Amino acid sequence: MPTILLVEDNALNRDMLSRRLIRRGYTVITAHDGAQGHARACADAPDLILMDIGLPEMDGWQVTRLLKSNAQTCGIPIIALTAHALVSDRQKAREVGCDDYDTKPVEFSRLTQKIETLLTAKGVV
Amino acid sequence: MNLRNLSIKRKLTLLAMLTSSIAVVLSSASFLIYDLVTFRNLLSQDLMTEAEIVAYNSAAAMAFNDEASANVQLSALTAKSDLVAAVLYGADGRIFAKYYRSGTPTPELPAPVEGKSYRYTGHYMEVFNDVSLRGERLGTLFLQSDMTRWNTRARQYASILAIFVLISGLIAWFVSSRLQGLVSGPILELEQTMRAVSVQKNYAVRAVKTSGDETGRLIDGFNTMLAEIQHRDKALQRANGDLKTRTQELEDEIVHRKGMQEELLKAKDAAEEASRAKSAFLANMSHELRTPLNAIIGYSEILEEETRDQGQPENVRDLRRIQAAGKHLLSLINDVLDLSKIEAGKMTLHPETFAVAPMVEEMITTLQPAAERNANQLVLRMPDDLGSMYADITKVRQILFNLISNACKFTEHGTVTLDVERREGVEDRLFFRVSDTGIGMTPHQQSNLFQYFTQADSSTARKYGGTGLGLAISQRFTHMMSGEIHVASVSGEGSVFTLELPAKVPLDAGELAQAPLAQEPAQDAAGPGGDATTVLVIDDDPSVRDLMTRFLGKMGYIAVPAPSGPEGLRLARELRPGIITLDVVMPDMSGWDVLNELKADPELASIPVIMITIVDHEALGLARGASNYLMKPIDRDRLAVALDKYSTRPEQVPDMALDYSGSL
Repeated sequence: MPTILLVEDNALNRDMLSRRLIRRGYTVITAHDGAQGHARACADAPDLILMDIGLPEMDGWQVTRLLKSNAQTCGIPIIALTAHALVSDRQKAREVGCDDYDTKPVEFSRLTQKIETLLTAKGVV
Repeated sequence: MNLRNLSIKRKLTLLAMLTSSIAVVLSSASFLIYDLVTFRNLLSQDLMTEAEIVAYNSAAAMAFNDEASANVQLSALTAKSDLVAAVLYGADGRIFAKYYRSGTPTPELPAPVEGKSYRYTGHYMEVFNDVSLRGERLGTLFLQSDMTRWNTRARQYASILAIFVLISGLIAWFVSSRLQGLVSGPILELEQTMRAVSVQKNYAVRAVKTSGDETGRLIDGFNTMLAEIQHRDKALQRANGDLKTRTQELEDEIVHRKGMQEELLKAKDAAEEASRAKSAFLANMSHELRTPLNAIIGYSEILEEETRDQGQPENVRDLRRIQAAGKHLLSLINDVLDLSKIEAGKMTLHPETFAVAPMVEEMITTLQPAAERNANQLVLRMPDDLGSMYADITKVRQILFNLISNACKFTEHGTVTLDVERREGVEDRLFFRVSDTGIGMTPHQQSNLFQYFTQADSSTARKYGGTGLGLAISQRFTHMMSGEIHVASVSGEGSVFTLELPAKVPLDAGELAQAPLAQEPAQDAAGPGGDATTVLVIDDDPSVRDLMTRFLGKMGYIAVPAPSGPEGLRLARELRPGIITLDVVMPDMSGWDVLNELKADPELASIPVIMITIVDHEALGLARGASNYLMKPIDRDRLAVALDKYSTRPEQVPDMALDYSGSL
C-alpha cells in the first residue's frame, strides 16, 4: 500500500488524520515538525506527503521548497494543508511547488480524492 | 496765449471790457462822423455866403472894369485865415483880380464854372459864384479854402474820443472786475471744493451756494452727488467692515475646522487602526477556531465510521449532528472571514473568462443533496447558447450557491428553479433567477434582507439556522462585480432572487488581485514519451516558461522554452514543433511580429499558435492567424483543452486543478 508521510505539529490532528488514513489502508508515517518531516521524507521515501503549513521553526513552505529542490525527493507529491482560506495561501502553495492544496478542517473525502488523484498520476496506485 | 486757457475771471473781465469798449468806440465814431459831416456842410455854407458877399461887392468894380478896386475887395479876405485863394474871372474867362494867401504856394487855378457850385478837391473846398449886376453876368468868383479848421476840429474830437474810450474802458475794467466775482466766485469756490474733496477724500465737505442761478444749481447738483457718494462711501465702509468681520469669522472657522479635521483624522486613523485590529482579530480568531473544529469534525467522522462498523446506528445520528454543527460553525467562520475582508477592503476580484453553462450545471449537481433534504425539486432552465462570461468565478459560484441553498432551506416539498438568461441589449448582461415555492417574505422582512446578521426575522435563525451573512456577502460580491441582486417575494408563496451581472465585469484596479501567474508545481510525472507532441513555449518571463514547461511536461508534452521572439523563430524552424504557445508582450520582438513571421513562412504557417497574454485582443489574434487565444493568468483546463485540440496525442493525466471551492 502507498506510504503517506503526515507532517503535522498538532497531536490531535496528527492522530485523527493518521487513524483515518490507516482505516483507508494507507501506511502512515508521521513527523511533528519541519525538520523531522524533511528527514523522514528523505529517509523513508514516502509516496505522498501531507504537509501542514503552520509548523514551528521550519514551516511547511520551507520544507516543501527543500524537498522540491532535492532531486531525490522532488518527485514526491505534496499536498499543503493550511488553516488559512486565503487566496494568497493558494498562490504561495503553487509558488513553493506544492502539488495540491487543501484547507483545514479537512473534509476527509475530498482529501482522499486528492490523494488518490496524485497517487494515480504518479503511478503508485 | 490761448484765450481758452485763460482763467474764468480774466475771461469775464475781458468779455465785459471788450463789449463795453466796442459799444463806446462805435457810438463815438458815429457821433464824430456825424459832427464832422455837419461841420463841413457848415464850412461850405459859410464859404458860399462869403462868396456871394464878395461877388456882390465886386460887381461894381467889374462893371467899371476897376481892377484896383476889385483887388481891394479881394484883399479884404485876408481876415479869413483858411481862405487860400480868391480869383475874379471876367466874362471872357480871364483873370480879372486875384488874391492869394501869403506864405502859401500859388495854387493851380481851375477854369471858371458858370453858376453857383462848390466842390471838394483833396484838401481844399472850392466855390464858384457868378458876379452879376442887374441880372447881367459880369464874371465868376472863385474861392478856395483849405480844411484847416475841419482838420483841427477832427483832431480835437478824436483826442476827446480816445480819452473817453480810455476812461470808459478803465471804468468797464473796474466794474467788470468787480462784477465778474458774481459769476466766477461760485465757480471758483466749487472748483476749490472739488479739489479738496478729491485730494482729501473727504465727502462730508459741501460747496457753499451763493446764488440761485445755473451756478447755484450746479453747486446743488454737485452737493447732491457728494451726498450720494458720501452715502455710498459709508455703505462701502460698512460693507468693508462687515466683510472684514466675516473674513475674520471665516478664518476663525477655518482654523476651528482645521483643528476639527485633525481631530477627525486622528479619530479616523484610530478607527481604521481599530478596524484593522478587528479584522486581524477576526482573521486570527477564524483560523484559531479551525484547529479545534478540525478535531471536532474529524473525530466525529472517525467515530461515525467506527460506530457504524460496530453496529450502533443510534450513535451515528448523534455523531452526524456533531458534524453538522461543526460544519455550520465552519461556514459561519468562513462568512466572518469574508466579512472581515470586505470590511477591511481586502476582498479582491480574480476575474477570468469561463463558460456559463458548465458552471451552472456543476452548481446544480452540487446542490442536489441540499434540495433533496427538504424533498424539493431542483430545476435548471437555460438556453443552449449562454456563451461565456468574464467574472470572478469563485464569487459567482458562492453567490449562486448561497441563493440556491437558501431557497432549498426555506422550501419544503416544493420546487426551486434556476433560470439563466443572457440579454445583449445596450449592455451584455447575464440574469440568474432563483425562484422557490417556499415560505416567502413580507415587505418588511425583504427590506432588511441584505443587512449583516439579519435574517427574515429572528425566529428564522432558530428554525432554519444560518448566519445571516450569506445574502449580505453575496450582495457585496455582486456589487464588486458591478452587478445587482433583486428580490421579489410574497409571504407564504415563495421568493424570487435575481442576480444580474455584466457579461464582462469591468476591471477596477482597486478590487483586482494582482493577476498572479498560475504557477504550477514541478512534477516529473511525464507522460509516455516517444510520440509526444512538441510544444514550443515563447515567453520572455522565465517564471512563465518554467511553469509552462512543467505543466506541459506533466500533461505529457515535450516542452521547449524560448526566451524571445527571434530565438522562438529559430527553434520553430529547427524543431518544427506540433504547437507553439506565444506571449504577446515581449521586449525586443512582440508576439504579433513573431506571429506574422510564422504565418509568412510556408513551412511554419501550418503550426497551430496559441496566443497567451494579459491583453485581451482575441479578435485581433484570430484575425492574424492565431489558432487560439488564452488570457493570463493561464487557466490550466482551458490550456489543456486548447492543446488537446491541436495535439496528435490526446492522452492526458487526470485533471488536478486546485479545488478551493470546498471550503467556501
